[in-house]
Amino acid sequence: MSRKMWLPAGLVVLALVVAACGSSDNGGSTGTAGGSSTTAAKKNYKMTLIAGVKGDEFYITMNCGAQAKAKELGVSLDFQGPDQFDPAQQTPVVNAVAAKKPDAVLVAPTDTKAMFAPIQQMSQNGTKIVLVDTTLAQPDMAVSQIASDNEAGGRAAAEALSKLIGGKGKVFVVNVKPGISTTDARGKGFADGAKELGLTYVGQEYDNDDAAKAAAVTKAALAKNPDLKGIFATNLFSAEGAATGVREAGKLGQVKIVGFDAGPKQVEDLKAGVVQALIAQKPADIGAQGVQQAYNALTGKPTTKKIGTGSVTITKANLDQNQASLYKASC
Amino acid sequence: MSDLTTAPPDEPEVEAAEAERETPFWQRLVSGSSTWIGLILVGLILVFSLLDPSAFVDSANFRNIATDAAVLLVLATGMTYVIITAGIDLSVGGVLVFSGVVAARAMNGAGGDNWGVIILGLVVALACGIAWGIVNGSLVAKARIPPLIVTLGTLGMSLGAALVITGGVDEREVPFKLISTIGIGRAFNQVPWLVIIAFAVALVFGVILAMTRFGRYTYAVGSNEEAARRAGINVDRHLIKVYALQGTLAGLAGFLSLARFSTTTIGGHDTDNLQSIAAVVIGGTSLFGGIGTMLGTVFGVFIPAVLNNGFIIVGVQAFWQQIAVGAVLIGAVYLDQLRRRSQDQR
Amino acid sequence: MPEPLLEARGIVKNFGRVRALRGANFAVYPKEVVALVGDNGAGKSTLVKTLAGVYEPDEGEIIFEGERVTIHSPTDARGLGIETVYQDLALAAELDAGANMFLGREVMRAGVLGKLGFIDKQAMRTQSRKVFDDLGVALQDTAAPVATMSGGQRQGIAVSRAVTWASKVVFMDEPTAALGVVQTRNVLDLIARVRDQGLAVVLISHNMPEVFEVADRIEVLRLGTRVARFRRGDVSMEDVVGAMTGAITHDGEEHH
Repeated sequence: MSRKMWLPAGLVVLALVVAACGSSDNGGSTGTAGGSSTTAAKKNYKMTLIAGVKGDEFYITMNCGAQAKAKELGVSLDFQGPDQFDPAQQTPVVNAVAAKKPDAVLVAPTDTKAMFAPIQQMSQNGTKIVLVDTTLAQPDMAVSQIASDNEAGGRAAAEALSKLIGGKGKVFVVNVKPGISTTDARGKGFADGAKELGLTYVGQEYDNDDAAKAAAVTKAALAKNPDLKGIFATNLFSAEGAATGVREAGKLGQVKIVGFDAGPKQVEDLKAGVVQALIAQKPADIGAQGVQQAYNALTGKPTTKKIGTGSVTITKANLDQNQASLYKASC
Repeated sequence: MSDLTTAPPDEPEVEAAEAERETPFWQRLVSGSSTWIGLILVGLILVFSLLDPSAFVDSANFRNIATDAAVLLVLATGMTYVIITAGIDLSVGGVLVFSGVVAARAMNGAGGDNWGVIILGLVVALACGIAWGIVNGSLVAKARIPPLIVTLGTLGMSLGAALVITGGVDEREVPFKLISTIGIGRAFNQVPWLVIIAFAVALVFGVILAMTRFGRYTYAVGSNEEAARRAGINVDRHLIKVYALQGTLAGLAGFLSLARFSTTTIGGHDTDNLQSIAAVVIGGTSLFGGIGTMLGTVFGVFIPAVLNNGFIIVGVQAFWQQIAVGAVLIGAVYLDQLRRRSQDQR
Repeated sequence: MPEPLLEARGIVKNFGRVRALRGANFAVYPKEVVALVGDNGAGKSTLVKTLAGVYEPDEGEIIFEGERVTIHSPTDARGLGIETVYQDLALAAELDAGANMFLGREVMRAGVLGKLGFIDKQAMRTQSRKVFDDLGVALQDTAAPVATMSGGQRQGIAVSRAVTWASKVVFMDEPTAALGVVQTRNVLDLIARVRDQGLAVVLISHNMPEVFEVADRIEVLRLGTRVARFRRGDVSMEDVVGAMTGAITHDGEEHH
């Protein structure tokens, strides 16, 4: 009996060791005495980027930009993230990263309040914190907060939608969930912009960052407002779902959609005419700036408390010129 | 007992036979189902400790691992009972969220920031939990619907009800006292209260499972429901109690989660059911019923927790973690099956 | 002829379209071994389960010690002093021998702990080990799950359990089916001993030589009704088999 057990048990342990030693996460070191052959002047700083959710092209693009900057500065950067955009899932990830006591962490908090405690704990252990994309209600521990100017992005979306529907008509917003600083700001920017431009703002619904739910609320809105002319979807999954909802309601082309974020699926939708405009953030820029700010903090150089990155309005017409602004599924 | 005094065997013969027959306690411990899983857990801890001692072997890190696992431990405690009866409960994530939502609403409705409000919230959460549990148990026992189907249904209903109540939006106001005491507070400034509560729950219900009639009936019903019935055990009532217990603990878990995150985290519990089932099964409890221990469940909760933590520390890519945890689940259960098969030789 | 200890009159039991018992009669007297025989599908197990409280009859009455009783559940039957060794043994395979012996009748710890529901596992193990010794059931490890034991040992545990708790009647459905020669001998001796001590034993068996060795009377069931009653001394094996297959009907006792 015992002999039969050592083989599978050994395999399990061996698998773990191989996974551990063989893991080189985009240049991240395993933290053992592998060390680095740096010159005497530069210390090999270790940083980690904690996304809001794995598998989201926005954060993957952010990571690409951050990795490039990290390579340029000679720091190592790991990439981690929870399975769902939720503080219950993100907290264990933050705690585990905290255990490594990295020199700096770029983190996109999934809740302005719930993520305060674990991030604060990291900061108290000496890790420099940069808040990327989303932020906290109390962000004082961060050396820098870098995000798109989301309110301006929302206004840009209102302008784009207004042009698409001819300057007047009913418009609707598919949003994520309250408590996320970024999407809240986009919703607000759009609502303000739409009203200023004379559009009829019928309201917004939440989809909890789930494309299927986004499709459902879109179809419900179309059923309630048959003369709805335009939809603004505030993030990647919301845009995917809104497009699906419009398609399933049979109103492709009649209802114009402006999405936020330019992931591969949304670009496909743009080319196919399912959505008419995308407000692309600059996640690579956010990532690169995040690494730079962290590096500055570690090397005693001045940091900037708040950095707002811009947005690009992409339509089918100007798609070719804006290839660089599209989000990537891998670096 | 009727007195069957026939010619009794000679005294010395009896004693010798007795001495042969009882397996010594330590031998039973070594071949016990939870021992091997415990060794695997220790093995994992050693491996990660060797790979990155400064990061992994750290009281703050262990504290975080334990705190992150606390809510799941409470869920897995109830799930142990259910699976031992050869049943299953997929509704735990939904009941957790529902209980948290209703408790938050109740506390905010009552207003104030004192122990009275907190106790109100706790009672409300437990009441929600036990209500869903009784629904589950009654449908399983009386309506004879398979537990998989019943609890799949109540998962949707409880989560859906929570979404209806909140409009899909997390309830984010929670009495501060709840957060500061249970949520992030610590005993002796070292051990988080969440961890203490979770372990106390596992201990109490582990003792009940191992040493009381209620526990034995749980094993009996899972091992051979018909035999239990013929032995005069009220199987239907017992099943309802077991599912009600599970529901109550899910309600408690919802309350604890609320205390920890100060928000109802509606979207974060979709896989709680599978995680707690995995923890219970890794711990050596058989899905076919009749076998399992609470100690095994505790180990089973911590194996994925240690893995998730260790992988991040050691630098395994985020997506590899899921593959690895799944592989370890299969591996651990396979080992347990081997051991069990070697016992049942005939 | 004294009054029957337990009597079934006109029992009808249907399972959907299957008419398992069609007005079956049965009687067992105190201090005797009566064999209930019949071909497959005659309804023997169903009749036993009805008298043991597992099933409730659709029609008919059950008379115990001269009074009409209704047996709603196994607990009711046990309350009357009736115990059963089922054909499938009704043992919980993952529990140990002591746990099975005391299933539903657990020994509680003394004092406060007992009131809180704590069971005395050691006492149950010790007491059951004594019973197994008395009855000659050899178990290597009484703390091991019953699933690890041989068929014969399991049957020994089931028989021991019924015999230990019964105060009036013990039903045994094919008790020697899985047993070897020596263990069969033990069970047959046990049945005789049990009878001698004042219990009545109802034995269901296919094994005619066994029946003829230990039974005082034989009642034959065919297609859900009783077709014959014999005293052991008055009849040959061929006659009994004939009654089972329908060739002969014989009613050797007074009608009721």
